[in-house]
Amino acid sequence: MKLKHFLHNRTALAGLTITTLFLLAVFFGPMLSKWSSNQHDFMNALQAPSWAHPFGTDSLGRDVITRVMEGARISLLISVSGVLAAMILGITAGLYSGFYGGWMDVIVMRVVDLLFAFPAFVLALFLMVALGYGVTNVALAIMLVYLPIFARITRNMTETVRNDAYVQAAQVMGQGTPRILFREILPNISAPILVQATIAVAFGIVIESGLSFIGLGVQPPTPSLGVIMADGQEYFRRSPWVLTLSGLSVTVALLGLNLLGDGLRDLSDPRLKVRE
Amino acid sequence: MPSSLKYFLTRLLGSLITMLVGTIVVFLVMKAAPGDPALIVLGDYATDETVAEFNSKHGLDEPLVSQYLDWLGGLVQFDFGQSLSVSAGENIGDLLLYRLPNTLFVGIYAIVIAVSLSLVLGTLAALNRGTSVDTGATSLAVLGVSMPDFWFGYMLILGLSIGLGWFPSYGFTQPSESLAGAFYSGFLPALAIAAPMAAVFTRTLRTALIENLDREHVMVAKAMGHSGRFRFLHHVFRNSLIPYITVVGLQIRYLLGGVVIIERIFGINGVGSLMVEAAFARDFFVVQACAVVFLGIVLAVNYLVDLICAMLDPRRVR
Repeated sequence: MKLKHFLHNRTALAGLTITTLFLLAVFFGPMLSKWSSNQHDFMNALQAPSWAHPFGTDSLGRDVITRVMEGARISLLISVSGVLAAMILGITAGLYSGFYGGWMDVIVMRVVDLLFAFPAFVLALFLMVALGYGVTNVALAIMLVYLPIFARITRNMTETVRNDAYVQAAQVMGQGTPRILFREILPNISAPILVQATIAVAFGIVIESGLSFIGLGVQPPTPSLGVIMADGQEYFRRSPWVLTLSGLSVTVALLGLNLLGDGLRDLSDPRLKVRE
Repeated sequence: MPSSLKYFLTRLLGSLITMLVGTIVVFLVMKAAPGDPALIVLGDYATDETVAEFNSKHGLDEPLVSQYLDWLGGLVQFDFGQSLSVSAGENIGDLLLYRLPNTLFVGIYAIVIAVSLSLVLGTLAALNRGTSVDTGATSLAVLGVSMPDFWFGYMLILGLSIGLGWFPSYGFTQPSESLAGAFYSGFLPALAIAAPMAAVFTRTLRTALIENLDREHVMVAKAMGHSGRFRFLHHVFRNSLIPYITVVGLQIRYLLGGVVIIERIFGINGVGSLMVEAAFARDFFVVQACAVVFLGIVLAVNYLVDLICAMLDPRRVR
C-alpha cells in the first residue's frame, strides 16, 4: 500500500483527517482550555452552550467540552490498551494454531467459538460483575471481546499462507518457528488485522461508554466519555446539550476511525474498487 | 445417513458442547467473583450460624462439582434457582419467563426494521454504484455504525418524543397485553437498536450485490436475453443472500448487547435490564442465569443461520 494510493482514497483521507483532529483536540485541547475538568462553579450550573462554554456546563458548573476532551483521552486509552492486549494474545494464538493445526488449533478455536457465542456487551457486563468495576477491568473486558476476533482472522490468514514459497524458504534456511511466524508471516497478513484494529478501537470506545453509562464501568469522578454521558442523562430533559454534544463528539470520533478502517480495507482489497 | 442430516446433527452437537462448556465457564467465573452470596443477602454482620444455615439451604456448602451438577440439572428443566437480592426469594425461571418475551419482541422488531432498511438502501446503493445515491447510502451506513446505540436512543427521545410528542419516552406495553401497544411503545427502542445493525447489513448487502453483478453467469443470463429484473432477483440477489444472512446472524451478538442498555433506558422489563439490575444488586444467581439465556439465544440463532445457509447453498453440507 503506497502513500500515493492512500492520498487518493477519499474515505481513508477523510478518516485520517477526522482522527488526527480528534487526537489533537483530545491531547492538547485541555491545555488550551481556560477551565479544568473538575473545576466546580455552582453559580454557572447547567448553562446552555455559549462562546465561553461551547458545550455548556453541567450540574456542578463544570465546562463540558473540557470534560469531554479529558474523558475522550481516558476512553481512548482504555480502548486502545484493551485492543492492544487482545491483539498480542489473539495474534499469537492465531499464528500458532494456524501454522501448526492439529489439536492446538482445535482447542484454540473452541475457546474462540465460546467467546464468540456471548453477546459482546453481555460478556463485558458479566466480567464487570465478576471482576469489579473500574478502568483496568473495562480494558480487560474489551480485550476479551476482541480476543476471539483477532485470533480467528490471524488463524485463517496464517492457514492460507503457511505453505507459500517464502515460508518454505525461511524453513529451509533453518529459521526458528517464532521468527517465521512473527517476521515472515505476520507482516504479510497484517493488512486485515490493521483494518480490524482500527474498527476495534472505535467499538471499544462504545463498550467503555456503554458500561460506564449504566454505571458499571469507569466510576466518577474519573471523567470517561461514558461517565460524562451518564451525568448528562440525569438532567437530559432540563438541559439536553450535555448528553447530546458529548455523544456527538463520540460519534465524530468513531466516524473518523470507521472511515479510516474502511479506507484501509478498500486499499488492501482491490475487488471492492469501483471500476472506472 | 444422508449427508444433510449428518451435517445438521454434527452442528447441533457442536452447539450443545459449546453451550455445556459455556455453562461451566459462567459457573466458575461467578464462583470466583468477589463477594459471598450469603453476606449479600444477610448483610455484613451476619453470624457464622446464619451464614452456615443459608449456605446449606442453597447447597453452597457442597463440593464445587456437585454444586455445578445441581445447577446444570436445574438448567435443563429451566429451573435456575432462587433470586438472592434483585427480587429476593423469587424463582429465577419465573422472572425469566415473564421478561424473555419482551426481550425477544424488541429484538425481533429491531431485526425486522434493520433488515427492511438495509434491503432498500443496500440494493439502491449497489444498483447505482458510484453515483450520489450510492454515496448517500454508504455515508448513512458509516454514520449508523458510528453512533453509540444508547445515545441514538436518547436523540430519538429528544426529537420524536420530547420534541414532537409522537412516541412515549419511557415504558413499554407488553405484547401479551396489547400487540398494537407493544409495536407503538417498542418503536423507538427497536429503532435505536436497529440503526447500527441496519448500517452493517447495508454495507454487506451492497458489497455482495456488487460482487455478484459482475460475475460471468449474470453476463450469460444477460446474453440469453433475461430481463434485468429476473437477472437481479434470480442470479444476483439470491447469491448475495448467503453472506447477508451470515452477517445478520453474526450481528445477534451486538443486537443482544444493545438490548441490554436500551431496555434500561426505555424502561422495558426484559432479560437485559434484569441482568443490569442483578449486576447492581450483586445477585450472582440471576446474573449467571441471564448470561446462560443470552448464550443459548446466540447459539440457537447461529444454528438457525447455518441451516438456512445450507438450504440456500447445498454444497456447504457436503
